[in-house]
Amino acid sequence: MSNEHTVKSYEEELQFLKDSLIKMGSLTESQLGDAMDAVIKVDKDSIDKIIKSDEEINKFRSKIDTQIMNLLVKRAPMAIDLRETISSLKISQDLERIGDLSKSNAKKVKPLPLDLPDELLGNLKRLGELVMKQLNDVLDSYVNKNFDKAKEVWKKDEQVDDLTYIAMESVIDFLSKDKKNLDFSTHLIFATKNLERAGDHITNIAETVCYLVKGEYLKGSRPKGKVIQE
Amino acid sequence: MNNIKIKSKNLNVYYGDKQALFDVNLDLNEKEVTALIGPSGCGKSTFIRCINRMNDVIDICKVTGNIEMDGMNINDKDLDVVSLRERVGMVFQKPNPFPKSIYDNISYGPKIHGKGETKSELDQIVENSLKKSALWEEVKDRLDEPGTSLSGGQQQRLCIARAISVNPEVILMDEPCSALDPIATAKIEELIDELKKTYTIVIVTHSMAQAVRVSQKTGFFHLGKLIEVGNTEKIFKNPDNKMTQDYITGRFG
Repeated sequence: MSNEHTVKSYEEELQFLKDSLIKMGSLTESQLGDAMDAVIKVDKDSIDKIIKSDEEINKFRSKIDTQIMNLLVKRAPMAIDLRETISSLKISQDLERIGDLSKSNAKKVKPLPLDLPDELLGNLKRLGELVMKQLNDVLDSYVNKNFDKAKEVWKKDEQVDDLTYIAMESVIDFLSKDKKNLDFSTHLIFATKNLERAGDHITNIAETVCYLVKGEYLKGSRPKGKVIQE
Repeated sequence: MNNIKIKSKNLNVYYGDKQALFDVNLDLNEKEVTALIGPSGCGKSTFIRCINRMNDVIDICKVTGNIEMDGMNINDKDLDVVSLRERVGMVFQKPNPFPKSIYDNISYGPKIHGKGETKSELDQIVENSLKKSALWEEVKDRLDEPGTSLSGGQQQRLCIARAISVNPEVILMDEPCSALDPIATAKIEELIDELKKTYTIVIVTHSMAQAVRVSQKTGFFHLGKLIEVGNTEKIFKNPDNKMTQDYITGRFG
C-alpha cells in the first residue's frame, strides 16, 4: 500500500506546509542566535537587522495560518494529517513568540555600555547557547518525527530554568556592587528572563512534536528548575 | 459503556464460491451509533445485511458463524424473519418510498404487523413516526399526497419514519445520505443524533466526516475483514492500524 495520498495536490499542500514551518524554524533559530550575539558582544549595529527579521517570521506565521485554513477547508484532514496540520498551527505560534522574545532582546542592547565585564555575561552566554541547542534539537525532532528526542528537549528545560537562575544571580550580584549599574542591569535581567521564556515555548513545541508522533499528550507535569520553584 | 445489542462472532459470508466476510467479530452497543467504513466491496453492507437476514433473498449466499441480538441467534433457521425485521429496520442509499400516499407509507408496516387496530391508533402511529423523523411539520397538511412527491431529503426522512413506525430496536442505514444535498444530509444527521436515544443504529457511510459527526464507534472493513474497530474519536485522530490510517487519510492505493 502506498504512503502517498491518492490526491497528489493534497500531498503537495501538506509538504508545502511542512516546508514553510521548517523555513520559519530556521529563521527563528538564526534570529535567536543573532540576538544572543548582539547582547553578548553589545553589538548595536545588528539591532535593526534582527528587528527586521522578526517581520519575516511574522509573515511566515500568517502564511502558515492561511495554508492551514485552506487545508482544513479543502481536505478535512484525518488522523496523522490532522495532527500534522494542528501541530503546525501550534508550532508556528510558539516560533513566532520566540521571534518576539529575540526582538525584545535585540532592543535591550541599545542601553548597554560597551565595556561589560566578561564574568557578568558568561552565564548569560551559557544560557543562550543552551536555549539555542534546545531550539535546534526540537526542530530536528520535528523534521525527523523523533519522539525520544522531543521528550529529551522537554526534560532538559529544567536545565534552562537552573541556568536562568544562575545568570540572574550574577546580574543581581553585579547590580548590588554599584547602584549606577541599575539601569542596564535591569535590561540584562529582562534579557535573561526572555531566554527562559523562549525555553518554555521550545518545551511547548517538544510537547506538540510528541503529540504529533504518537497521538497522545505527554503524561506528568513539566520538569521545573530552580527559578520556577522559588 | 452501553450494553451490547448485537454480537457477531467469527461471522463468514459467502456468495457462491466468493467469500465476502472473513471471521468478523464485532459488537454493537445499544443506543449508540456505530459507523462502518471501508472501500466499496469491503463487506460493510454485507455485514449489516446479516443483522436483518437480508442476505436470505440471495440464493447463493451462505452465512456461517454467530450473530446474535440480545443473545438470540439471528441465523437460527427457525427464526421468524418477519418479526426479526420488525425489530431491525433498514434505510437504504436511495430513498425508496412506496408508490402510495405519505400516510400509507407509514401505516403499512404497523398494519401488516398488526400494530394499529383502529384508524385513530394508526393516525397516532403516523403522527408519532413523522414527528420522530422530523418530518411532521412539513407534511402534516398533505398526508394523502404521494410519498414520491416529496423532495429527496424528505423522502429519506419518510423512509426513516416508515422504519420506526413498527417500533424497532435497531435501525440499519446503508449510506442514507449519499443521494442527498448538504442541508438534507444535516437534517438526517441531526435526526440520527435524536434517534440514538431510543434505537441502536448502524450506519454504512463513505463520508469520513459523517462517520466522525454521527457515530460513537467506528469499524473499518477491508477485503471482507474487519481491520480495526474502536471509539470513533480514536479511529479518526490516532488509529492503531496503518491500513485504517491510510484509508481515512486518502492514501489508499
